[in-house]
Amino acid sequence: MTTVAKLIDTTLCIGCKACEVACQEWNEQEFTLGVFANTYQTLPDLAPNFWNLIKFNEEYKDGAQAWLMAKYQCMHCAEPGCLKACPSPGAIVQLPNGIVDFHQDNCIGCGYCITGCPFDVPRLSPTTKKVYKCSLCSDRVGAGLTPACIRTCPTNCLTFGARADLVQIANQRAVELKADGHKDAGVYDGPGVGGTNVIYVLKHASTPESYGLPKDPTIPWTVALWKGPLKWVANAAFIGTAVGAMLHYLKFGPKEVHGDKAD
Amino acid sequence: MHFHVFDAAGESLGSFGTADHGRRAVTKQIDRFSFAERASHWVSAICFLYAALTGLALWSPKLFWLSGVFGGGEVVRAWHPWAGMIFSCALGVMIRRWSAQMQLDEDDQIWLAKSHLYAQNIEAGLPESGRFNAGQKMLFWTQSAAALGLVFTGVVLWFPESMPRALRLGAILLHPACASVSIGGIIVHIYMSTLGVPGALQAMVRGTVSEEWAKSHHGKWYREVAGR
Amino acid sequence: MTNGWCDIANTDVVLVMGGNPAENHPVGFRFVMEAKRKRKAKLICVDPRFNRTAAVSDSYVPLRAGTDIAFLGGLIHYTLENNLHHEDYVKAHTNAAFLLRDDYGFEAGHFTGWNGEKKLYDKTSWQYDLDGSGFAKVDETLQNPRSVFQAMKRHYARYTPEKVAEICGCTSEEFTGAAKVICSTGRAGKVGTILYALGWTHHSHSVQLIHTAAMLQLLLGNIGLPGGGVNAQRGHANIQGSTDMGAWNMLPGYLRLPRANHQSLEEYLKATTPKPLRPNSMNYWGNTPKFATSLLKAYYGPEAKKENGFGFHNLPKLGESENQSWGFFFDRMHRKEMQGFISFGMNPVANGPNTEKMLEALAQLEWLVVVENFETETASFWNAKKLGDKFYPKFVDAAAIKTEVLLLPAACFAEKDGAFVNSSRWLQWKKAAVPPPGLAKTDNEIIGRLFTAVRALYEKEGGKGAETLKAMQWNYAKPEAPALDEVAREVNGRDHTTNEQLAGFAALKDDGTTSCGNWIYSGSWTQAGNQMARRGQEDPTGLGLYPNYAWSWPANRRILYNRAAADSDGKPWSASHATIKWDGARWTGDTPDYKGDAKPDQYGAFIMLPEGVAKFFTADLAEGPFPEHYEPAESPVANALHPSVSFNPVAPVMHSSADTLGDAAKFPYVAITYRLTEHFHFWTKHVASGTQLQSNFFIELPAALAREKGIKGGDNVRVTSARGSVEGPALVTERMRPLKVSGKTVYHVGIPIHWGYIGRVRGPLVNNLTPSVFDPNSGTPEYKGFLVNVEKMA
Repeated sequence: MTTVAKLIDTTLCIGCKACEVACQEWNEQEFTLGVFANTYQTLPDLAPNFWNLIKFNEEYKDGAQAWLMAKYQCMHCAEPGCLKACPSPGAIVQLPNGIVDFHQDNCIGCGYCITGCPFDVPRLSPTTKKVYKCSLCSDRVGAGLTPACIRTCPTNCLTFGARADLVQIANQRAVELKADGHKDAGVYDGPGVGGTNVIYVLKHASTPESYGLPKDPTIPWTVALWKGPLKWVANAAFIGTAVGAMLHYLKFGPKEVHGDKAD
Repeated sequence: MHFHVFDAAGESLGSFGTADHGRRAVTKQIDRFSFAERASHWVSAICFLYAALTGLALWSPKLFWLSGVFGGGEVVRAWHPWAGMIFSCALGVMIRRWSAQMQLDEDDQIWLAKSHLYAQNIEAGLPESGRFNAGQKMLFWTQSAAALGLVFTGVVLWFPESMPRALRLGAILLHPACASVSIGGIIVHIYMSTLGVPGALQAMVRGTVSEEWAKSHHGKWYREVAGR
Repeated sequence: MTNGWCDIANTDVVLVMGGNPAENHPVGFRFVMEAKRKRKAKLICVDPRFNRTAAVSDSYVPLRAGTDIAFLGGLIHYTLENNLHHEDYVKAHTNAAFLLRDDYGFEAGHFTGWNGEKKLYDKTSWQYDLDGSGFAKVDETLQNPRSVFQAMKRHYARYTPEKVAEICGCTSEEFTGAAKVICSTGRAGKVGTILYALGWTHHSHSVQLIHTAAMLQLLLGNIGLPGGGVNAQRGHANIQGSTDMGAWNMLPGYLRLPRANHQSLEEYLKATTPKPLRPNSMNYWGNTPKFATSLLKAYYGPEAKKENGFGFHNLPKLGESENQSWGFFFDRMHRKEMQGFISFGMNPVANGPNTEKMLEALAQLEWLVVVENFETETASFWNAKKLGDKFYPKFVDAAAIKTEVLLLPAACFAEKDGAFVNSSRWLQWKKAAVPPPGLAKTDNEIIGRLFTAVRALYEKEGGKGAETLKAMQWNYAKPEAPALDEVAREVNGRDHTTNEQLAGFAALKDDGTTSCGNWIYSGSWTQAGNQMARRGQEDPTGLGLYPNYAWSWPANRRILYNRAAADSDGKPWSASHATIKWDGARWTGDTPDYKGDAKPDQYGAFIMLPEGVAKFFTADLAEGPFPEHYEPAESPVANALHPSVSFNPVAPVMHSSADTLGDAAKFPYVAITYRLTEHFHFWTKHVASGTQLQSNFFIELPAALAREKGIKGGDNVRVTSARGSVEGPALVTERMRPLKVSGKTVYHVGIPIHWGYIGRVRGPLVNNLTPSVFDPNSGTPEYKGFLVNVEKMA
């Protein structure tokens, strides 16, 4: 099956937030109220009912002004940190088309995925005690439709398609931008997590942090250590100790009371 | 002769060892553990067992079936932290009561240096132990330290949405790491207190041991309580 | 728009000024992005704030609110000074060659003809130098010092880059940097567009401002070409439609309202039908009698006969020099000269200048009918003292208000069919998506019921005006709820001799055999059916004109003045921008803005105008034949060009008890008001999705000013003008640069408009602050560029 992906060309994003509303409406999430935080950004962060957030970042350096807007949501990693951390089989699934989907029926609300995610995306609902995030509209995609955010984007900043095609488009766009004088333009698609199925074109590719994107995202080493070496060492230790105890008993037997020996 | 006692929930309370019931009637019994000590031990033991088994369910998808035994994933997610909290309270009682007695003295250092003899059931050359031998003391401190780690990291994992990411990243590794140490230690503890040292379990269940038992396993302590 | 949304994709340079399309027209803005991507078009944003459009622009130039004419005048100067204008275009298609009277002049802020006592211009000296037959004299070489071209050159010689910088507050380098790009479109093969919106219209010199933009585009030869033009981005889905239908001070199709001195149709037509000013002028407005007669025929049907002037006597008439635009009639209401007011889909308390005055005015009424989707500030104006809290200190308590308020619930846009006319002048027929909720009725039903009920009352009881109502034709299947397709057919017009729908306005007659509700919409519902419902996506020219998609007025023409895209021989100025071309027998491409089979040299390219060509110089506007920079009514500095005539001498300023103006000593900062992308006007504060995206009212402050005042982001601040105040958290940003104006540092204070005292989220009404100062031509209030003070609240 073809791996699908979403391309976000931030140079075409005007921060109109149509994607935010489309996401909530399609996914039937409740509209709440924002909190004022000295920014145009809807919420300070993603929320259980808000899976798609445009981050607004202002930069003012040496007279040069920038107001960077970039949509933030699940990146649908090829090696998902959330899935790695999740204890509950079937709560997080990686579909053959590359979409990483959460099935709330199987979610136990431990929140490990939140920590496992290199992009800090999943959000735990305090009411349902389940974790939520962008599903890349797996239901729409399954029915041959494009995800709601992409369908609604007015400036064609968002594109949906086969990942291989989009990577090509993104690289082409970066070349165009470079030719246009934006020397730092480039593509951001998380090679550290095996590639993401959300691909960004950035004008300032060497500093993705200025868009609110993590630099060089990888699965957190603590999660990797826990789910890798620690698991094996500990498993071996548990079994080893139990077996050791058994062998000890067989070889040396119980510690008797001295008096007994005298008997 | 072994037999098991089960409570209503089907959880094993532990197996009674080979304490010689017939002899108990004729041997003088000494109080070893007070009611409070025993109660706190068993409360913490039950909670530990629950937390350990449900923790294992959350440890790996391959062990997630364990959560089914305890009411399913969501129930386990909800109760595991509470079990941990009760465990730590009970542990707190034990720490308060025992920490002074758990200090290692010079004999204990010698004991530890020669602990391989103890493992081989060779008593000669080992210094006599007080109320707790050096192995028990080491276990006590190991478990206490691990429990402290578990509690702190556990609280972080309990409320992931309101904890800073850096803390969560640390906790998600340290919690299972502490649990591994703790579970490893408990396997040894269970073995020693049941099969390893007959009579030990009775001490923790009924609170008493025979004079002979006390004399041979905790000579120094026996002399203190017996006044000789 | 002279062009259209899709057409922006054809441009090479986009100048966005007086608008923020990325914010307010995000869907149309896709075409800007397309031009940027596919044509490597340059986007230049000129605005007091580094806004959403600036965020994706290639260059940004800050400017002080209300100084746009200085900036554009500077561009005209830059173009002429550096010979960047499209000379052949200017010669062929503009009045540059026309000669002016020798008594015309401009001195120290006034044009000739100024009457200081009456505060009015006598426009005699603004006319052309006419020959014996009434035609303007011309000098094709443009060298005559009395030619429009030379007069223009002289007029704008004062607008040097240094002067622009001094007035606008940008640096002269920033100005020339932008000018270089903007004025690069003066050569064939390169074309630029100008996008504007309420940032231009909300000034006391707004029409002249747009005139300046048109002049620049004419100089650069950008009018009539794909990717060119002067493009107004309309702020509501159907505001273009309401303008076309004459909702503001006009009859449908931009026919002028009759005045008291037009006692007969003949007198009216004589006064409103222009005469050609050049021998080759088609002077299409010469057909005014056909448009007006057909309109009267649509209004009065069989009662409209030649003998009775087609019922002209039934039309209401304005006083000879009476102005009944917004500011004036609210001033009358405030003086208790009106008894009743129907506020139909309008929220004057929220969107009128000087809120407290609006409230006081409404309180003078006997009755007020509000037709709305929601209970608005206007519907509950009587409770403003309580709901609006401290912002209306002088307003009275509810108990003291005698006005009877009737709120009629109306269907919203998705609950009714009909047509929207968008900025591209497309009439797009739509269908109702859902039925209106509860007791809400469609607008047509509300009007139908009102009309039939009032007429029945008059029939029963008689009274003043009974004849007028009786004369009115109301021929609908359901008189109390006329179907919109019936109305649309009526608007298109019929030929009563054949009883067929008209094919277009060319078929209109002045003998009473045709009727037409709006001549510019004629052709929208022909014998072939509803043209507005078409959705064909063919694009034969490849220019994105989509002639079979919806229907564009006039005559389904997609680009206005497209004749000017070709030279005197009918050859396009450049092959890549061939809107229409002459093939020897007829014009092909877009619907020509010309006679379809007329030779290229037969008429002037601007067929609507008496001159036959476009006008740099015009006596049509109130404040002068050339646009001149005037400061806003409240300004931090005196006019750097003529300090003694700082403000527009003919702009109306109201003087009721509620109307006061402030000065820079007490109110040192320049305030601008604007919309946010998350909201639509004062409407979406009732809607869950919009209120989530921007829940809180806020006040945007330059970081430098905030530092000066010790204000941090989120601190509550109070903004005060001479009229009133607003309070809210500060959004402190570097995106609003302090500007150096005439050696003085000027700060802007930005205030988004969308809140009010009713809704899912609430906040102060921005118009608490704004002055009752208006453009003399359009009557639009000066919502931008007034003075305020800012203080940190305890």
